[in-house]
Amino acid sequence: MKLEGKYTFKAARQKVWDVLLDQKVLASCLPGCERLEEVAPDQFEARLKIGVASVKGTYDGKVRILEKHPISSYRMEVEGSGAPGFVKGEATISLEDKGDKTDILYSGEAQIGGLVASIGQRMLGGVTKLMVNQFFKAMEKKIQ
Amino acid sequence: MKPPKFEYRAARTVEEAVSLLQEAGEDAKILAGGQSLVPMLNFRLTRPSHLIDINKVSELDYIREKDGKLAIGALTRERTIERSALVRQKFPLLTEATEWIGHVQIRNRGTIGGSVAHADPASEYPALVVLSDAELTIQGPDGSRTTTWDEFFVTYLTTSLQPFEVLTELRFPLPKPGSGYAFVELARRHGDFALVGCAAQVTMNGKGTCQEARLALIGVGPFPHRSPDAEAMLKGQKLTDKLISEAGQKISEEVEPEGDMHASTEYRRAMSKVFTERALKKALSRVQGGK
Amino acid sequence: MSMHSISLTINGKKFEGQAEARKLLSDFIREDIGLTGTHVGCEHGMCGACTVFIDGVGVRSCLTFAVQADGTSIETVESLAKDGKLSPLQEAFWENHGLQCGFCTPGMLICAEELLRENKNPTEQEVRLAISGNLCRCTGYHHIVLSILAAAKKLQGAAQAA
Repeated sequence: MKLEGKYTFKAARQKVWDVLLDQKVLASCLPGCERLEEVAPDQFEARLKIGVASVKGTYDGKVRILEKHPISSYRMEVEGSGAPGFVKGEATISLEDKGDKTDILYSGEAQIGGLVASIGQRMLGGVTKLMVNQFFKAMEKKIQ
Repeated sequence: MKPPKFEYRAARTVEEAVSLLQEAGEDAKILAGGQSLVPMLNFRLTRPSHLIDINKVSELDYIREKDGKLAIGALTRERTIERSALVRQKFPLLTEATEWIGHVQIRNRGTIGGSVAHADPASEYPALVVLSDAELTIQGPDGSRTTTWDEFFVTYLTTSLQPFEVLTELRFPLPKPGSGYAFVELARRHGDFALVGCAAQVTMNGKGTCQEARLALIGVGPFPHRSPDAEAMLKGQKLTDKLISEAGQKISEEVEPEGDMHASTEYRRAMSKVFTERALKKALSRVQGGK
Repeated sequence: MSMHSISLTINGKKFEGQAEARKLLSDFIREDIGLTGTHVGCEHGMCGACTVFIDGVGVRSCLTFAVQADGTSIETVESLAKDGKLSPLQEAFWENHGLQCGFCTPGMLICAEELLRENKNPTEQEVRLAISGNLCRCTGYHHIVLSILAAAKKLQGAAQAA
């Protein structure tokens, strides 16, 4: 599944960069994040309880931040699994000035497998987008 | 697979269902017909602490005409609606939509309230709630409230129903005289989840001008899509093939369907135009006495 | 987890047992009551093999909990044959090659039985719609449809003779 999108933050690029990579902010903005620990520089272990309505599952996973080019781009790798299935994905996130605002462009690829994918695949794309938006909306609140 | 463990309580009245929900806490779920919930339990995609069974709440099983509306209790089985002479006479669009739901044995158990509260993006009944601006009555610990679809449907499988609330009644405004209707659907096999579906209701005056058009599409977004713009294009006009095609085009540009292995985004978008056109033409032909 | 007492009528006989809330009616029928004619295929309402009658209405027993069947009357495929003699519907399946491996047959028979109880003279289209919720991986459905149409004829003949 391809993931692509843009989100505009009303803040300068440096501020957006700092907030995006702040572990505490990350932990409070990731949907359903129950735990996020830095196990090595730019490597995190996380537990997320995610889903829609009552269809929720707990996933344990790893997040790695790679190829950091401060304040313009980085790559993120995510890997996780739980009872309903597994998630594996990567995305490139770039930041661009837009006047006094900052555009975040993300583009990546996610693989979702297991039970949740075979049963819920017709809603998977939509629900994933929903959660990406949730994440950026929560981020926006932190930035302002 | 087998369902995870849960506690089971059966309610006999709506009031009892609400108080059982409160006792059970926020992880409880209502069990109505179970035709969507039990598969999810069998796959352990959902793990409620309690199921509050409302199958014996007989006060929620009725179909009545009341003040120009069709009032249907939330526990009314889909099969009962399908066979109801009152529904067929007053609101045949509901009969036609029902025939698209699963199979006889699913409709024997499935309920209208369950279908609407489950809010599957491919379900037929939510489309009719959206199309006709139906009123939904909800009962909770603080009494009952009435809402409409724009407040009720939130996103995929998600409604504004609060943890201790029960959907109790749906009231569909009856179509005005001179109305025609159609429910058309594209699925891989009859009874499968709709890839795209369209409900249409058009009201014509004696001179062949469209007084009102209502359209709702399923399978193309998180919940049914209503198009005020396409409806406005049709209102006050003769419904020519060209205009119908333009309305279909408008809708196909508005919707943002998700692709999956059965149908890509582009295909669903293209089909939303085709099925809007088919629904409108069939609805129009029925105003003129067609079958 | 608490156990629930379940008292029901199965094919005309009383049965009393206990089950956890999560026990599916399909498993209760097979494991507790001991009637294995009801088959469990997909366990999510797609295949129709587990269809039984509850109070005369055909339902997926894998989408119903045993505790919900307390106080009801259930008919399974075993109820169709009387005194060791196949019912006209079953006979028609026998005579028209309406089954091969037999896995889907109990569900096919119950759904066909439900159709024929309500519609004495179904068209081929009505028959196909009636079994549209049942999956068969052997027959290609054609002979099942022929069997049900033949059963309708048999039942009409029997009704006229009587």
